[in-house]
Amino acid sequence: MSHSSLEAVVDPQLVKKWISEIGSDSSAAVPLLQAIQSHYRYLPRKAMDVVVQNTAITASQLFGVATFYAQFRLRPVGRQLIKVCHGTACHVSGADRLNTALRQILDITDAAEDTAANGSYTLENVACIGCCSLAPVMVIGSATFPNLKGADAQRSLKKHAKDSGEMLPKQIQDDDEATVSGGKEA
Amino acid sequence: MGDRMIITIGEGTCGIAAGSKEAADLLSKRFPEAELRSVGCVGMCHQEPMVWITNTDDVTTLYGQVNKKNLPKIVRHIKGEGDAPPNFISTSQQPDTDKGRYLTGQTRIALRNVGTINPTSLEQALARGTYGAIKKILTSGMTPEAVIEEVKISQLRGRGGGGFPTATKWGFARSAPGEVKYLICNGDEGDPGAFMDRSLLEGDPHAVLEGMLIAAYGIGASRGYAYIRAEYPLAVQYFGKAIQDARAAGLLGKNILGTSFAFDIKIKEGAGAFVCGEETALMASIEGHRGMPRIRPPFPAISGLFGKPTIINNVETLANLPWILNHGGAAYAAIGTEKSKGTKVFALAGAVARGGLVEVPMGSTIRHVIEEIGGGSAKGRPLKGVQLGGPSGGCVPEAMFDTLIDYDAINATGAIMGSGGMVVMDSKTCMVDISRYFLEFTQLESCGKCTFCRIGTLRMKEILTRICEGKGTMADIETLEELGPQIKNASLCGLGQTAPNPVLTTLKYFRDEYIAHVVDKKCPGGVCKALIQHTIVQDKCTGCSICARYCPVNCISGELKKPETWVIDSKVCINCGMCAEVCNPEAVFVA
Repeated sequence: MSHSSLEAVVDPQLVKKWISEIGSDSSAAVPLLQAIQSHYRYLPRKAMDVVVQNTAITASQLFGVATFYAQFRLRPVGRQLIKVCHGTACHVSGADRLNTALRQILDITDAAEDTAANGSYTLENVACIGCCSLAPVMVIGSATFPNLKGADAQRSLKKHAKDSGEMLPKQIQDDDEATVSGGKEA
Repeated sequence: MGDRMIITIGEGTCGIAAGSKEAADLLSKRFPEAELRSVGCVGMCHQEPMVWITNTDDVTTLYGQVNKKNLPKIVRHIKGEGDAPPNFISTSQQPDTDKGRYLTGQTRIALRNVGTINPTSLEQALARGTYGAIKKILTSGMTPEAVIEEVKISQLRGRGGGGFPTATKWGFARSAPGEVKYLICNGDEGDPGAFMDRSLLEGDPHAVLEGMLIAAYGIGASRGYAYIRAEYPLAVQYFGKAIQDARAAGLLGKNILGTSFAFDIKIKEGAGAFVCGEETALMASIEGHRGMPRIRPPFPAISGLFGKPTIINNVETLANLPWILNHGGAAYAAIGTEKSKGTKVFALAGAVARGGLVEVPMGSTIRHVIEEIGGGSAKGRPLKGVQLGGPSGGCVPEAMFDTLIDYDAINATGAIMGSGGMVVMDSKTCMVDISRYFLEFTQLESCGKCTFCRIGTLRMKEILTRICEGKGTMADIETLEELGPQIKNASLCGLGQTAPNPVLTTLKYFRDEYIAHVVDKKCPGGVCKALIQHTIVQDKCTGCSICARYCPVNCISGELKKPETWVIDSKVCINCGMCAEVCNPEAVFVA
């Protein structure tokens, strides 16, 4: 599945501006890539070309660095990025189920795919965000969602979609009422 | 006596995630006359969001888990009406309550200001005595050698995991020739399950900064880097603010405090590579390359960043330095065991009742941390063990919880002190799955330079996956035991040298679990999907259908409100566990 609609239009002048601010020697490779990614949310090939043409950084160094560090993405990212923490504490308390639940609601069935077909959300596994006492945790934008069970993750995502005006590919029937009635009968 | 009430809110990453902003809004609406103060994370993560109410008589009351629902009771209690609500923790007059013991049971040196000051305020840091040590050093004419000597007396060892004597390392860099020397603060806290450095950088950045100044003065460094994980945006932001404020106050830059001492710091954000916690890899990363370690010698203290003498100290190590210089090395060395002095900060998490940051004197027992401070098992299930030191460490079984917190005593168990990650595991944790998890992590994070690390960890991961899938053999267990020492011996850096530890320690202490997977094809923890089965206990089922609606493969069926009709089709079921998680009456049985 390709998401050509999510591909960025690169402004070479902007990249050159970052180079003049950050530097053009080889130690600028990581911060330059960070600047590109923080603006375009991934590393567009064209932006990397501008770096190679205008700095002492070679194409092999830049690509080597871009593929070495987990933070960098070479593919476009959905309009919203969900980071699912897979630290030890999150793993032990069911981070896997979070992935299952989120993939379900985002209708991502292909294991190699990480972005919903409508380009809304991208699912990313991260190592540890250091909120271990609130495990399992996911982060969307600057909001952190603590103590999530699989079902909570779907509910939180639905709320996030509603608040941010984003469309989810698949709506799961609302369960709040059922949870309550199930509890009462028990 | 204060003239108005003060509401203090903990606003570290955990606090914000748990809803501290909302709690602050709610309380300031109820008490509009009160002064609102923000502090860093105090480390009681299990109680977030936390609120301290200081009344006009200067009595402070602490409440935890403040939210919309329990607010009315808290408000009544603040006004002196009604009994203490369930989320009351303690008061300044009586701090040693059942819940308050989490804090009173600790000895805080590195974390001395965390959770008491606003991390973005230089004034508050100064009011707590920060920068007093560097001021004393510079104005009293204390020589760098005398600073190193004081640290030597304290017997401080590197808190990042290595445990190398800090003063010895500094001595090498001090005597190394060269005009330009570097000091790097290692805040690339990559161990999953560890957040000590995050809390320090977020909660008391000026203490770390002062530590860097002391270290720089000691070794003669004029330039510094703070290498901080990009996954810690708040830490990057607050440390950046601290650098700016310190510079503006003449505490950083040229002519610090009016003397000839000059030192300045740049922040480098890590880009997500566990191996960059290793000194030489971290330097390669700052130089703009793939973070791959190189052969030592030459050691960084002689030839490090850009070929210059370089000292890399961990955040916690640095945060201890001002205290040592203020109170004297001997006072620090008075705490702890024969070879491990001072305190150690741990990040307590997992199946423990009260998780968060814990700082205890060396020589305390693991049991003290988990049971006295952490309150034991979270869900009442028996505890199985604790994972120390993340992917480089090992699992210490419950029977050995009386082991002392001491570099050598922990090494003797096969685990390591590490940087301070402490993840508690109960009977519902599968130790084979945990080993597989860590090996998957180290295999992904291996930089690929050394063959045994690159391929050996992959083979170990494949074998562990096979065992988790019920396809393992007894020969696989032998292969794991053979590969472990080979990878440890044939790897250049700490990543490979320690990667097999989680497997080797679980094989040593939880061998029966491996055998249960291989021989009986059972997962005693009920975790490994291929070896478990989910069934509905119809006696407990209410027929509410919530499980069926959350099942990703639609394998649950039955009629509404007819518990006797509900079944899981085991042929289709992927054992993801969603049904068990959403079921209120716990009618899904896992075995």
